[in-house]
Amino acid sequence: MRKFFPVEDLARDSRFSKITIADRMADQRTALNVNVDADGPSKRTNNMRLTPSRRDASDGARGLMHGIFVGEIQALEGAGRTCWDFETGTEAPFALKLDMARQCWDEARHVEISVKLSDWMGSEIGQYAENTVLFEAACSSDPVLRLAGVNRALEGLAIDVFTTMKEFGDLAGDQYLEFCEDWMLADEVTHVKMGSDWLRKITENDPERRKKALEFQNVVDKLFSYGGTRSDSQESPIGLARRFRELAGFTDDEVEVIAEVSMQALNERKVAVGQIREAKRLADQSAHK
Amino acid sequence: MADPYKPRAPFAPWDRRTLPGIFDVEESARRVGNYKWTEMKLFEALGGWVATVPELDVKMRLGTHCYKHAWHAELWHKRLPELREMNPERLTAPANDAMVRFIEAMTEPEAPELTIEKLVGVYRVLIPRFIAAYTYHLNGTSEITDAPTIRSLKFILQDEFEDWRDGEMILQSLIETPEEAARAAAHMQKLEAIMIEAGGIAGIGTLGAL
Repeated sequence: MRKFFPVEDLARDSRFSKITIADRMADQRTALNVNVDADGPSKRTNNMRLTPSRRDASDGARGLMHGIFVGEIQALEGAGRTCWDFETGTEAPFALKLDMARQCWDEARHVEISVKLSDWMGSEIGQYAENTVLFEAACSSDPVLRLAGVNRALEGLAIDVFTTMKEFGDLAGDQYLEFCEDWMLADEVTHVKMGSDWLRKITENDPERRKKALEFQNVVDKLFSYGGTRSDSQESPIGLARRFRELAGFTDDEVEVIAEVSMQALNERKVAVGQIREAKRLADQSAHK
Repeated sequence: MADPYKPRAPFAPWDRRTLPGIFDVEESARRVGNYKWTEMKLFEALGGWVATVPELDVKMRLGTHCYKHAWHAELWHKRLPELREMNPERLTAPANDAMVRFIEAMTEPEAPELTIEKLVGVYRVLIPRFIAAYTYHLNGTSEITDAPTIRSLKFILQDEFEDWRDGEMILQSLIETPEEAARAAAHMQKLEAIMIEAGGIAGIGTLGAL
């Protein structure tokens, strides 16, 4: 078996279809599109948070759950590769690899939970396509960058997603969903803390490596803030779970940076949507002349 | 209530543990170092394979088992300094060169069509060898002086039996044709030949001398 496994070779059964992140965001069934009007074109609202009151709540929640499911598979694969790709001692500490093995078990459970929750919510494996950008963040040749990109950026996003889904379950009176999200959230906080602790420990005397890792984390954070899907604003389907992020080892300053990046992404998206609408209006106007 | 000052036997009548064991501290540490090395190689391989197998149920099982073997490695890592090896890395070693070749051969399959070979190596060859080596250690070591090793062995053996059963059931569900059965047998034979040369996880004498 090779060291460093290419993302395009990720093994899947025939139910799965892989797509790019741009394709994924363009899927009209997903709840993550900020440019889709939840209440219809004539009743545009500023509140896009994924809640049961949204007209597209059922489909949106199902799509998000499927996204969680495939994300958990890739997180499992990424943690597993970190166990294999690096020599113990010379390239990665023994204790770090033990943590990654522990994460494998946790992610395997999350896949199991997601499969059962997807079934509960009425969707099937492969109903939505899979983008593999999460695993790509786990392909760095430096284990510290993997921890920054996956454990801190992506598992950090998972904290935000699970918090939103837990609230969704609470508001919908779906105790089954709320119960499962609560447990997965606990694991994710542990994984993010693992990443925070290892990042600080390994780069304690290597500021350049720490800087590189944090830059990589910012890139991944920005990538996953694509379209403003996650921010403090109610215009984003997913909120920023500040309290759980603090529990996971993020400093106040780090949370502020993520909040800023997310808001910036949301604003960029709003400008882009505004431009598209204006262009369409002008095109309609000239067609009626 | 009985008189608390009345002398009682230090070992209750039902406590039949005995003092003698077949390993001294040095031999016990050597074996524990071999166990740790092999458990490490196993958890690393299981983790690496997760991305390579298309079967969803197998993916999840490999992820779960990966952690169990990492935990076993950690238990042995912690036991080594208690066996007078203050530098655990020194004894974290394969029993011999054949054992290194065995791990190389076991971890060689990567293609998505080779799930049977991957699982055969782990669940039909290596884990049965673990069960044998651990059982021999458990039955042979001093029940009193080496009690901490015995405690770890019992926890670990419970995992090994459960994982072996999981893996064997998955294999039985994957092997559907005589050709696939032949593939499994051929791979098992290839790996067993190397394992015989190695003599087991702790080398020649893993199961004592008959």
